[in-house]
Amino acid sequence: MTDTTLSTQESIFTSTARDWSSDMSTFKGVPWGKAMMWIFLLSDTFIFTCFLVGYMVMRMTVTEPWPVASEVFALTVWGVSVPLLLIAIMTFILITSSGTMAMAVNMGYQRRKWAVFWLMVATAALGASFVGMQCFEWTKLILERVRPWYNPMGAPQFGSIFFMVTGFHGLHVSVGVAYLLIVATRVVRGKYDHTNFEIVEITGLYWHFVDLVWVFIFAFFYLW
Amino acid sequence: MATVEVPYQETVPLHHPKTWIGKYIFSQDHKIIAVQYGITAMAVGLVALILSEFMRLQIAFPGWEFMNFFTADHYYQAITMHGMIMVIYLLTAFLLGAFGNFCVPLMCGARDMVFPFVNMLSYWVYLLSVIILMISYFVPGGPTGAGWTLYPPQTITAGTPGFDWGIATMLISLAVFIVAFTMGGLNYITTILQARTRGLTLMRMPLTVWGIFIATFLGLIAFPALFVSAVMMLLDNFLGTSFFMPAVVSLGQKLDYSGGQPLLFQHLFWFFGHPEVYIVALPAFGVISDLISVHARKNIFGYRMMVWAIVAIGALSLIVWAHHMYVAGMHPSFGFFFATTTLIIAVPTALKVYNWILTLWRANIRITVPMLFALAFVLTFIVGGITGLFLGNVIIDIPLSDTYFVVAHFHMVMGVSPILAIFGGIYHWYPKLTGRMLNDTIGRIHFYFTFIGTYAIYFPMHYLGFIGVPRRYYETGISEFYPIAAHNLNKFITIAALIVGISQVLFIYNLVHSYFKGKKAPANPWGANSLEWCTPETPPRHGNWEDRLPTVHRWAYDFGVPGEEKDHIPQTVPRRKAN
Amino acid sequence: MRIAYIAIILFLVTLGSVVFNFTTPFHFDAIGSNWNLIDITVYITFVVCGIVFVVLGLLMAWWVYKFQYQEGKFAEYEPENAKLESRLTIITTIGVVVMLAPGLVAWNDYINPPSDAYELEVYSKQWNWMYRFPGADGIFGAAHNKYVNLDNPFGMKPGDPYGEDDILITNKTVKIPVDRPVKVLLRSQDVLHDFWVPAIRAKMDAVPGMVTYFWFEPIVERVYEVLCAELCGRNHFNMRGEMHVVSMDEYSTWLNDQVTWAGLQAGAVPLSPEAATGRDIANEKGCFACHSDDGRQLATGPTWLDIWGGTVELIDGTTRERDEAYIVKSILDPHAEIVLGYTPTMTAIELTDEELQSILDYMKVLKSEPAKTAIEDEQDASNTLPEGESTSEPTEEPVTD
Repeated sequence: MTDTTLSTQESIFTSTARDWSSDMSTFKGVPWGKAMMWIFLLSDTFIFTCFLVGYMVMRMTVTEPWPVASEVFALTVWGVSVPLLLIAIMTFILITSSGTMAMAVNMGYQRRKWAVFWLMVATAALGASFVGMQCFEWTKLILERVRPWYNPMGAPQFGSIFFMVTGFHGLHVSVGVAYLLIVATRVVRGKYDHTNFEIVEITGLYWHFVDLVWVFIFAFFYLW
Repeated sequence: MATVEVPYQETVPLHHPKTWIGKYIFSQDHKIIAVQYGITAMAVGLVALILSEFMRLQIAFPGWEFMNFFTADHYYQAITMHGMIMVIYLLTAFLLGAFGNFCVPLMCGARDMVFPFVNMLSYWVYLLSVIILMISYFVPGGPTGAGWTLYPPQTITAGTPGFDWGIATMLISLAVFIVAFTMGGLNYITTILQARTRGLTLMRMPLTVWGIFIATFLGLIAFPALFVSAVMMLLDNFLGTSFFMPAVVSLGQKLDYSGGQPLLFQHLFWFFGHPEVYIVALPAFGVISDLISVHARKNIFGYRMMVWAIVAIGALSLIVWAHHMYVAGMHPSFGFFFATTTLIIAVPTALKVYNWILTLWRANIRITVPMLFALAFVLTFIVGGITGLFLGNVIIDIPLSDTYFVVAHFHMVMGVSPILAIFGGIYHWYPKLTGRMLNDTIGRIHFYFTFIGTYAIYFPMHYLGFIGVPRRYYETGISEFYPIAAHNLNKFITIAALIVGISQVLFIYNLVHSYFKGKKAPANPWGANSLEWCTPETPPRHGNWEDRLPTVHRWAYDFGVPGEEKDHIPQTVPRRKAN
Repeated sequence: MRIAYIAIILFLVTLGSVVFNFTTPFHFDAIGSNWNLIDITVYITFVVCGIVFVVLGLLMAWWVYKFQYQEGKFAEYEPENAKLESRLTIITTIGVVVMLAPGLVAWNDYINPPSDAYELEVYSKQWNWMYRFPGADGIFGAAHNKYVNLDNPFGMKPGDPYGEDDILITNKTVKIPVDRPVKVLLRSQDVLHDFWVPAIRAKMDAVPGMVTYFWFEPIVERVYEVLCAELCGRNHFNMRGEMHVVSMDEYSTWLNDQVTWAGLQAGAVPLSPEAATGRDIANEKGCFACHSDDGRQLATGPTWLDIWGGTVELIDGTTRERDEAYIVKSILDPHAEIVLGYTPTMTAIELTDEELQSILDYMKVLKSEPAKTAIEDEQDASNTLPEGESTSEPTEEPVTD
């Protein structure tokens, strides 16, 4: 027993070491586009990290009161104020879209083009509805007189950082929607027939990343 | 693995452009893109050079009638533009954009970058960023005069020239540059990791590629911080948010800001700014290592140590940023941590210097023009490095920060040194790029003017810092700390700067003249080993190699191997069977 | 064998640097504070780095000279020498520790002011230094930029009892006693500044929205020039102050002569409506960044006190009557005629005719001799203080520009 576990562990290290000390490619069998997307996402991670670090610094240093998340982001449904209702739905939608995306990737490797197409379109639709709900939320806050430079409930930085970070994330989602639709169309048009459909997986990487970032934004902005 | 791996580039046909525009303007050939990057960077660098000469004239001859047009506003705009252009648009763009593009595919034995179209886009977006930067001279109020560090609140308050439009063009230009850099950088890294040729393991790569590799990696991690701070500052400026702006009264007017953190900007800026130093220095290290080894006809001493030093410096450079902020008012305990990490970085850096010098020992040194630049680099880098030990040690930084000591230090370490590496690299690779040799005599004259001139500028300047001459002073006037003799030293420095500036004409003349009239270059004029010298044609055609990519059998530093006929063995020569 | 000029050049450059170091007069000037430890750390670093520099420079020159190219000769093939490399690593590490250790010890002192240090606040704005002492109670009153206005230059919090006895010095000169440790608190009204006296060695940025600090103990009685070391806008280079290190007696006498916040408030006298409008406009346009209206001489621009009438000497040597036409021209086209002793840093200010007229109205009432009523804070404040106070600078200084 112990022998086998040890040997598998060893083989992970040795295979990594072998790949890194080999010629031609470091990540064996990984297409260029996929490697490039991973590196891009690493870079993008730092963008969001910097934004979130900025947020934390603001949050910890401002002296004026910070609005209470459960009150600001509450929706009144049938006369009952439900905290974080909209956000819960948005988060649910985005996570669902990650699920459809994963299915699309799976279909891609089975070369089922129409399945890929519809799943990607579904993902894009979920993403678009996410952006739509974000618009709704922005409108609601703006009607409550929250502005990037002003916030009736206290620290003006709340408005600034909220609109900036969710806006930047929303931009990512919107770009992702466009990206998904383009790739989906090109898939059914047969542009990728000569490949292994790794483009679907690459698109998926981006989409999952955007989704993951949302989880952090959700945690920091709505639960803190 | 059962299947034999084949370099992917060997299996896909290369698309050759038909038109002249496709070949030379919107070219996807990495060599053409390298030249485009290089020419643009040099052109914009020339602007920065001229700005610096005006600054020097103002510092040395305040009140001289000829300089009357040069007001304090102009001076501060000049220091800002000079700094930003030199650091970002010249050094980063040249070392990564030009050398990166030229060297990476050739030295990796690749046909081109992995995504040539993105690579081409990278150049055009870079050009766009340069144009936006230059537009700042034509917007109302002129370019920003906030210093290249762009510290708020100063950048966007009325006491600074270019506080509204100038800063906007600057920040937008930076953001666009970051987009360009990201597109290029993704290509370099993916090419190095995934598109090497047969037999080329990471530990057989020339150090130039290693330097570019780690530098690009740092760039992709560090530039986001600059991007974010640029976005936030733009919002502060145009939407009135208060990220970096506390409640301030600017020139009698209460501004509508409250609760922002000026120090947050500084942290973000230097989280980019310090790795930026190494983004410039690491490729220069790599180039110099190759130059010294080739022209000394001896293997680089301690190759593995050199690689690990590059990696270690790169990693450490991410946790030293606040040594630029010792007097910024951050929590004082940070001083202990950042002073320690900063001085630790001195160890791998010093090892690199030792190894360059040890490479000279019992070598067979050819004093060629590239070698001259390489040797000069080592000396200026030693000076820049050890003055860095002064400034990195928190308590010594207290009296020296914001003085000419700092100016001299960073010009020595990331102005003169990388520029010397760039010159060395150009003299070294020009024959491969154009098929013609640069004129040797002009090269030597250019070298001596540049090296001795810049040393004469920056070495004495350290001592101005010791007596307390503050940097960024339009005019010092007569002050107790500033004796007449120091004014004379300033005049001397200015004259040296003018001579250095003018002598660059020689270089440009040499580049242009040799392109048309230079001696025809042999395929491997320096007797070097790395792959770029093994191309079937000089200059290499689009696609670089024959149908089959070259196969690498050894590292790039087999010089003077005992028992061999020639004193160098190219990487493509198979190893002999064990005797 | 060809002569390797570069070897000679490298040799000469190395040697020349050493010679320059020992012959140049440009080293730290005599220290004026307790921070000997800084100088010692610099000295240690100088020795360690100097040795490294000379050894490496000379080795390089020597080896370049010695191992020049010879046809057919092979270099020694030695890819690696682990022993040598680890030795070099250890030696370098030791060198680094030798430099770092005293530095960290000194830094620990630097950030921990002694408990008997008294406090001095430096309040900086574009482009002047102002100072505040906590007064008799030893506690600073609360202050914030949001309270700043023309009659409250320090942004003192209204109604804070601790603030009433705070001593406010809007003049660029501060006096401090010798041999007493002082903790300098730094605040800024607008942008980053940095309070710096080269001979004291210590400095720190002033950051708006924060209070930063450093401490030192002056050991020499002397007049020091105060510089701004952090770029703070177009007049950064003109932001000078003075720090007089004096005996305890002189300090006490001087401090007693200064106005308190309570005194300043009591002394405020209303201006005529036209002049008050002019003052507000001038303030909003940022005029008081470079010009005082109470006779204080700022490095950047002439004071407005008594600016009406008289003559000035221009930079080209001519003398000019200072009439209304001249003043209007100087406001609208500041670079046309520069007064001797000033640098052309003023930017043209856009003013409507009414605004210009208001400012001129205000300037007209700024007279040091007769019109006491119209004059600025300190002067008015001095009325409320004992007779000896009237030596505050505005009145006694002959007006020059």
